[in-house]
Amino acid sequence: MSGEYLAFLALALVAITGGVLMLNLTKVVHMVIALVFTFISIAGLYVLLSAEFVAVVQVLIYSGAVTIMMLFGIMLTRHQEEEGEKTTTGGFWRKALTAIAVFAFGIAVYLGVYRLDFGEEGARLHENNTEQIGMALYSHYTIPFEIASVILLVALVGAIILAKKDDEGAPKS
Amino acid sequence: MGNVYANSYLIVFVFLCIGVLLPVGALTLGKLLRPHVPSEAKQTTYESGNNPFHDSRVQFQVRYYMFALLFVIFDVETVFLYPWAVAYNKLGLFALIEMLIFVLMLVLGLIYAWKKKVLQWM
Repeated sequence: MSGEYLAFLALALVAITGGVLMLNLTKVVHMVIALVFTFISIAGLYVLLSAEFVAVVQVLIYSGAVTIMMLFGIMLTRHQEEEGEKTTTGGFWRKALTAIAVFAFGIAVYLGVYRLDFGEEGARLHENNTEQIGMALYSHYTIPFEIASVILLVALVGAIILAKKDDEGAPKS
Repeated sequence: MGNVYANSYLIVFVFLCIGVLLPVGALTLGKLLRPHVPSEAKQTTYESGNNPFHDSRVQFQVRYYMFALLFVIFDVETVFLYPWAVAYNKLGLFALIEMLIFVLMLVLGLIYAWKKKVLQWM
């Protein structure tokens, strides 16, 4: 029982609790807060894995930018009527099937991950982590990096096309 | 994992604990000290002297979303710039050209957004 193990347990617990709360809470803004807890504890898990840069990016992009995006998405939609009565969907068999599927997925992931060999653990990962990422990304993985820029461009243009079409359809206020 | 690495994050953890405990302690102490006389007028939302009249969660315009979206895209771009800048001295000219192509792609997107008048407010 080392400190690392304890930290892992606490962070994993916070991550799972945040996910479950996000599904169960009724107000959308509370859901987003639960999601932020999940994102930040995942960043903590990255720190435990000696991936400091990825952890910072997780906080910057996910719990910063993506959360803002979700909040704006919530604010754009009408959500007052959702706080009415809760309807349960599906009968007993559907729930049972879902439970079986979830457990089967869990067992499959467990079996797949438990004895998975990732090769030698990078012992020097925590030294100059960002510089190591830079060296790997810009000398070995050039093509994926450039493709990432194309994907960002496609996302930008696609989002503009979708949103502008909405904007022109709506009356000016 | 290096011991130094884990120990340095112990300090981060201590700071996190202080950061959480300080407002909790301060607010609890304040609750013990202050008088508690609630009234209807005190519980209304402060709106700079105006009377609040509507639900605060109104439907936003789609323009705000466009700005959020541009922000996310260029945020991701900035994240790619960091490892490049840190490892710049060891990478040389090829990485500079790579990054120029990368930035050019996103500048194209920015020009497209500009042409489509996304950046104009009204």
